[in-house]
Amino acid sequence: MYMLTEAQRIVRIPPAELGEDIADVIDSLSCDTFEGKLEEDKSIAILVRNVRPVGPGRIVHGDGAVYQTVKFEQIVFVPRDNEVIEGIVVEVLGFGAFVRFGPLDGLLHISQIMDDRVDIDEVNQRLVGKETGRYLAVGDVVRARIVSVDLNEKNPQDSKIGLTMRQPGLGKLEWIDEDARKHSNADAEAGKEAPEEKEKKVHKDVKSKGSEA
Amino acid sequence: MKYTRFEKARIIGARALQIAYGAPVLVDYPDDMLDSIDIAMLEYKQDAIPITVVRN
Repeated sequence: MYMLTEAQRIVRIPPAELGEDIADVIDSLSCDTFEGKLEEDKSIAILVRNVRPVGPGRIVHGDGAVYQTVKFEQIVFVPRDNEVIEGIVVEVLGFGAFVRFGPLDGLLHISQIMDDRVDIDEVNQRLVGKETGRYLAVGDVVRARIVSVDLNEKNPQDSKIGLTMRQPGLGKLEWIDEDARKHSNADAEAGKEAPEEKEKKVHKDVKSKGSEA
Repeated sequence: MKYTRFEKARIIGARALQIAYGAPVLVDYPDDMLDSIDIAMLEYKQDAIPITVVRN
């Protein structure tokens, strides 16, 4: 989930940069220091903006640098359990696929891709469903649900995030459309209209959430 | 503002360290002045050091 929050932190201004316009220096240093970092509340700052110094900077013993308290707005990404995300398949391996969403990659295990037996097509870098013939390849856009979050504080890129797509409404976007069409056809045959509308609405909501990202 | 000798030492020390680490010098100083402490003291004499003391 993406959030816009306000934060207060301390930034270290090295002596060599004291000559430049201090507002610019604070801005770029804050971006460098805080963007892409994992905070204690398990959020990753994507963007830092509107950096404002708070009070005078401090000089500590033994270090010529100025320690300046700053306040800024930040866009953070917080991966939550059971959150539905949309991402791109970036790598296909023998045990599953990696899906990139926001600043992170999540692992989609081979057993969690679909309700089907999945074959690995190593030559074409694809994971193919044996009965349905559906396949997952690099570059596909998928909708998945986060099932486990284990963030690595030292290196956020190294965090382990587990995903699943074995659930109605999840999967490659083409599959979802296919299933929705199948359902609406079945509903039309049965003369029911209400469930179809409901499903469409849910579909739209999820989509708009995805485009926010 | 009149600083105590302790504050003076702290200001010149901190400023000398900054200059040693490459901070720009705010006064004209002779070419043969190579010691950052000397430069910091010159800045102090000319009241050019942008450091204030927070007393508590």
